[in-house]
Amino acid sequence: MKRILIGGIGNVLMGDDGVGPYLARTLDARYQFSEGVQVVDFGTPGLDFVVHIAGLDALILVDAVDNGKPAGTVTTYRRSDILASPVPMRLDPHQPALKESILIADLDGSGPKDVTLVGISGQSYTFNTPLNESVRKAVDDAIEVVLRELEQYGVICTPKEGGTPDVWWEAQGSCEAPAR
Amino acid sequence: MSKRITVDPISRIEGHLRVDVEVENGSVSNAWASSTMWRGIERILTGRDPREAWLFTQRFCGVCTTVHAMASVRSVEDALQLEIPLNAQYIRNLILIAHAMHDHIVHFYHLSALDFVDILQIPKADPAKTSSLIEGLSPWTGNSKHVMKAAQDKVKAVAASGQLGIFTNGYWGHPAMKLSPEVNLLAFAHYLQALDYQRRALGVVAMLGSKTPHIQNLTVGGVANAINLDSQGTLNMDRLAMIKQSLDEVIPFIQQVYLPDVCAIAAMYPEWMTYGAGVTNYMAAPDLPLDSKGTQFDLPGGTLIDGKLTTFKTAADPIFRKEVVEDVAHAYYEGKDALHPWKGETNPAYNEWDANGKYSWVKAPRFQGKPIQVGPLAQVLIGYKQGHPLTVKWTNAALATMSKIGGRTFTIDSLHSTMGRHVARAIRAAMLTELADKHWTLLVNNIAKGDLAIHNQPDFPSGTIEGVGTHEAPRGLLSHWVVVKGGKIDNYQAVVPSTWNASPRDKNGVRGPYEASLMQNPIANPEQPLEVLRTIHSFDPCLACAVHTYDATGKQIVRVKAL
Repeated sequence: MKRILIGGIGNVLMGDDGVGPYLARTLDARYQFSEGVQVVDFGTPGLDFVVHIAGLDALILVDAVDNGKPAGTVTTYRRSDILASPVPMRLDPHQPALKESILIADLDGSGPKDVTLVGISGQSYTFNTPLNESVRKAVDDAIEVVLRELEQYGVICTPKEGGTPDVWWEAQGSCEAPAR
Repeated sequence: MSKRITVDPISRIEGHLRVDVEVENGSVSNAWASSTMWRGIERILTGRDPREAWLFTQRFCGVCTTVHAMASVRSVEDALQLEIPLNAQYIRNLILIAHAMHDHIVHFYHLSALDFVDILQIPKADPAKTSSLIEGLSPWTGNSKHVMKAAQDKVKAVAASGQLGIFTNGYWGHPAMKLSPEVNLLAFAHYLQALDYQRRALGVVAMLGSKTPHIQNLTVGGVANAINLDSQGTLNMDRLAMIKQSLDEVIPFIQQVYLPDVCAIAAMYPEWMTYGAGVTNYMAAPDLPLDSKGTQFDLPGGTLIDGKLTTFKTAADPIFRKEVVEDVAHAYYEGKDALHPWKGETNPAYNEWDANGKYSWVKAPRFQGKPIQVGPLAQVLIGYKQGHPLTVKWTNAALATMSKIGGRTFTIDSLHSTMGRHVARAIRAAMLTELADKHWTLLVNNIAKGDLAIHNQPDFPSGTIEGVGTHEAPRGLLSHWVVVKGGKIDNYQAVVPSTWNASPRDKNGVRGPYEASLMQNPIANPEQPLEVLRTIHSFDPCLACAVHTYDATGKQIVRVKAL
């Protein structure tokens, strides 16, 4: 059994930056995975990320990226792209912690062998706004990319019936609070 | 002639903090701490149900998720004068203790030790000599020469690869680095071991909080951990035993490795016990409540202002409630008056960085009109002055170890310094090891008595109520201030530890703790201001958390610009 983690990264309160957590929760609601696969909404982790990635066979990150491509474009980056500096992508204010976490985990040999970043080009990252439609529409494409990655590891993905993602930050009242 | 250095951003992981220092004749002659980003989380909470505020506040900051959740539910409970069942208090306390142990370990080894430890000296070390250095000082079993040799081989491999990886941004070979190759190796071997022990500490948070990084088990009025000792999927005996086992693994690491390491490094850098005092007014909140009303606590709180002690009797003491204001004279917000958090406004008014005008997104919190330093040092000094037995015990033990290694006498007064903040953090971690054991036992005994209560139902009145929730977080005093009107949030302000410490000047031009602590720090080489990093890192900065912010280019790890 391979240990695989799919991590949604980003701040759910900042427009398109929230697409990682949004995708993670959507994926979790739609699919059941074979043993060893975990889907987690990480928010914007710091060095505690080391704890979560230690000992993994594969880490698949999903995050908004700022790579100059049209909003909603899905681009896949590999471990070497992520660790190469400078990487032309905007992850989130804590981005260095992802890279540092991988490098630190490598020190004691617990770093994940494979790291993949499924990046979704964002449009805007304004605080207190929802996902832009162009980015929301790209979520299904990005999920397909994640599923294809999982298939390569022999993971069995079974659709769930009627799962509703728990994206509580989009519930009524969210993103509509009047400016004081 | 003075020379100005901008360090931007300064933290190894988060960035967002900008520090400007002027250097004259080899030392800092003026300093400004600022943050370059604004977030304004408070505004998203207006109009919401106060029972769900903690879900949102948990997203303030990636590193400080748990603490903002805790302070938020406490603020609403305070407004409602709601009692919390004992089980819920103990469960929350265990989460806070485990989280703090994790955070203190990571802060020292992974975020600041390399300000004092020169990685590139390690290949020259003699592993056997390294192992013998520590003999007799600590019973830790992970100090053999084989362990040291393995750690050295890792550094050699990294150095030989030509790619320094995680060590790319250090000031290796800097004249202010003073440890022998052997001590550098010892510290690095423990840096590697610390990865494992911080993970075990965080595991306890996950077991009780259902999940990390965002715990799921809080609720206004208690916790959501159903307790049934014989049932799967609840807090049962197996799970309690697993928690105990993890705690029992972390505790010796803190007592036998972390605390002695900090004492040794402090003793070997005695000059850093003379720099960096800065603002010597301190404040801490009492925490780890022992009763349902929150009148007795295991961690001491109060203020130490101009050397005079005041003790806080409750988590949000009447003096504290009344005397906190936030000044925006030098912060990028509208308004002139210093406002109480319940009346606080968060209306941005940005201009270019202006040393004499507005220069930061951090507001300037003041208590009784004064800047205040918060953090483990504040708690340790206040507890020591109160004669709090646990604080006195571990502080005296640390000072004795430092004095033995350094061959000179260190006193409590030497803790008012850059290195003192590291020592105090390790003392606090050692205090928490005893409290971890204690609160686990309290929880188990209370359940054994047949008390399974975990939650009291909140009931919101139609009128306006105000509350403040405090938590003595790893970085210091955190307070969330809430105004609830007819069951909806009417105002919400978070005054976070890094806001106190990274505060800009106030309307009287008085510097905040970071700024004041940098004054007169030596600077051996303005192109490599390692000394600035030492002092700022000693506060455990978390500006992503202090400032309510967003930035599109948070990519650099450390950028140093000499202007």
